Amino acid sequence: MAELVQYVATGLLVGGVYALMSIGLALIFGVMRVVNFAQGDFMMLGMYLTYFYAISGRVDPLLGALLSIPPFFVLGWLVHRGILARVTGGDPARQHDAQLIVTLGLSLIITNATTMILTPTPRGIPTTYATQAFAVGPVLLNQARSYAFAMALVLAAAVYLFLTRTDVGKALRAAADDPEAAGYQGIDVRAMHALAFGAGIALVAAAGGLLATYYPIEPTVAGNFIVLMFVAVVLGGLGSIPGAFVGGLVIGLVQSLTLLVLPFQLQNTGVFIAFLLVLYLRPQGLFGRRLRAV
Amino acid sequence: MRPLARMLAVTLVLLLAGGSVYVPPAPAADDVKIALVAPLSGRWARQGQLKKMGADMAIEEINAQGGIKALGGAKLVLREADAGDSVEKAVSAAQRVLTREKISAGIGSWLSSFTLGVTEVAERLQVPWLSLSYADSITERGFKYTFQTSPVSSLQAEQALELVTELAKKNNRPIKKAAIVGDNTAASMFFYKPLREKLLAAKGIELVVDDVWTPPLADATAIVQKLRSAQPDIVFYGATNFPDSIQVLQKVKEFGVKSPIQGVGAWLVTPEYVKTVGKETLDNIQTVVATHPMKGQEELVKKFVQRTGEPFMTQDPLCTYGHVWLIKEALEQAKSADPKAIRDALAKIDLQSGPAASSFYPPRIKFDERGRRIGAVPLIVQWQGGEPFTVVPTAVATRPLASHK
Repeated sequence: MAELVQYVATGLLVGGVYALMSIGLALIFGVMRVVNFAQGDFMMLGMYLTYFYAISGRVDPLLGALLSIPPFFVLGWLVHRGILARVTGGDPARQHDAQLIVTLGLSLIITNATTMILTPTPRGIPTTYATQAFAVGPVLLNQARSYAFAMALVLAAAVYLFLTRTDVGKALRAAADDPEAAGYQGIDVRAMHALAFGAGIALVAAAGGLLATYYPIEPTVAGNFIVLMFVAVVLGGLGSIPGAFVGGLVIGLVQSLTLLVLPFQLQNTGVFIAFLLVLYLRPQGLFGRRLRAV
Repeated sequence: MRPLARMLAVTLVLLLAGGSVYVPPAPAADDVKIALVAPLSGRWARQGQLKKMGADMAIEEINAQGGIKALGGAKLVLREADAGDSVEKAVSAAQRVLTREKISAGIGSWLSSFTLGVTEVAERLQVPWLSLSYADSITERGFKYTFQTSPVSSLQAEQALELVTELAKKNNRPIKKAAIVGDNTAASMFFYKPLREKLLAAKGIELVVDDVWTPPLADATAIVQKLRSAQPDIVFYGATNFPDSIQVLQKVKEFGVKSPIQGVGAWLVTPEYVKTVGKETLDNIQTVVATHPMKGQEELVKKFVQRTGEPFMTQDPLCTYGHVWLIKEALEQAKSADPKAIRDALAKIDLQSGPAASSFYPPRIKFDERGRRIGAVPLIVQWQGGEPFTVVPTAVATRPLASHK
């Protein structure tokens, strides 16, 4: 029994950071309908910024993760203005191709430029809490992952409140639901897109910062997480923020519980079986709305 | 005005770009080109970077000493190709570099899975290939152009087990239970296989944990929890992917697992481990490697450290350094830059001194008909105070072996 509780706790802690990573992706897709392949690379840059805060300014990475939000919001805004705005809007069929190519290209450029500039040498932020645990009865909760989980919850709640309780948040949702009607109501849809992209990038950078408290940083780190991020977003229902959060948690949980019945080599098999089941039984995802039916 | 301005801008960009595009210096007609196919991007890029450091250092030394004397002082030139992070990428990199221009010999590609693919290309194009990879299968395919300087994985497993059981007996703590933990890359799998199938059983050792994963590892909690409850007397450890390995070692510390760790491969002794998990966690962890700086190589290590800024030298640069010197010796003996002639020279070579031979243990390079270095013995390297030292065999050890607490 204690073993099962340990597996559940570990799964939830791992899932917490997946959840935060996925929220940003869901926000961008929900508002702009852009599938951002470079999302994982912005997360990697967030890890590096947190690392540099920690090394040069002795800033604790948990604080560093929060401090990386403003610069990455600006970066996201600029990337939208400079690059993505040119391939959004207009004929949706053609624009989708262009968006995919642009974000994929951006991902390749960011990974390789980072490898060239910062070298492929892995780096790590030595924290005492990465190797310490809170003991709750027989169950051990890793401290770094627990802090990261708590902060992921707080940030996700903040995003949720922003979207549901503020005027700008409501405008953002209106622009997501029906850009044309939102435009008629005087909402600057393009500005909303830039806001969503900036916020999405800032969130994933913060997730990167939290990840950096216990995970080594290297230019290719995105590859270890990007597929899971997409699975979480689709699992939760494309574009749904609570859906992405729950999707992330479910992935962590399934990854952990799979090990009770399957060997390690098949750790992600459980995730993809769950994914296929959800797509089969509930194609719109756990929290998605059914928009189209054939 | 606008089209004109645009044209001017485009011209300016082209001029700037043109100025900054890297054009490799054209080699003189008689330069000898050798290829290094190693991961320079992706998950294993760090190892490729270390290999390149070793190759660059050897080439600089050879050229400074007058190049290849038998070829009128011809200089060595390195052509590197990025093996990336998949076998497909490694194979196409090898194909590209070997067909674009005349390459006399090649080195690579660190990960056994990559080497298996790359050596197929080299065999087809008849270019001699030197590899430090461990997997037995690299030299089990009847290839004529592949030369493996490292002791193969199965041999390493045998010798590592022999060593740890002997040590345990000496310390009055005989090994009864063992664990295998690591990823499923080729070299690691060839190391585990003989342990599982015969070696452990022959010594009456029970295998209590056997967990192998496909990198990347999502979380190490479950594995380390098993180690904590099974309490093996030794853990055979093969996590070649750095983030996976860090997660396991962090958990080992967190869960207070005290079982001694015996790694397989030089990935466990790279400098970044110290900064990421701290030297206390690493202390006494040992690993079996193909080579590592030995007694008598202090000058070489000093030079390497000064050149590169790395805190110490490990298998990857040392092996590649030795490989370049070995190609140099083969060129001298073949008196030709023709790949076939170099292959024949390598097949016949018997070196017992010089920078090539002293990069390996025992210091002798002679290959059998399969392309394996005859008599190759692995070294055991152990972390002590934040630095990895050769501890076995004692004849070339730079520090005595520290026993586990």
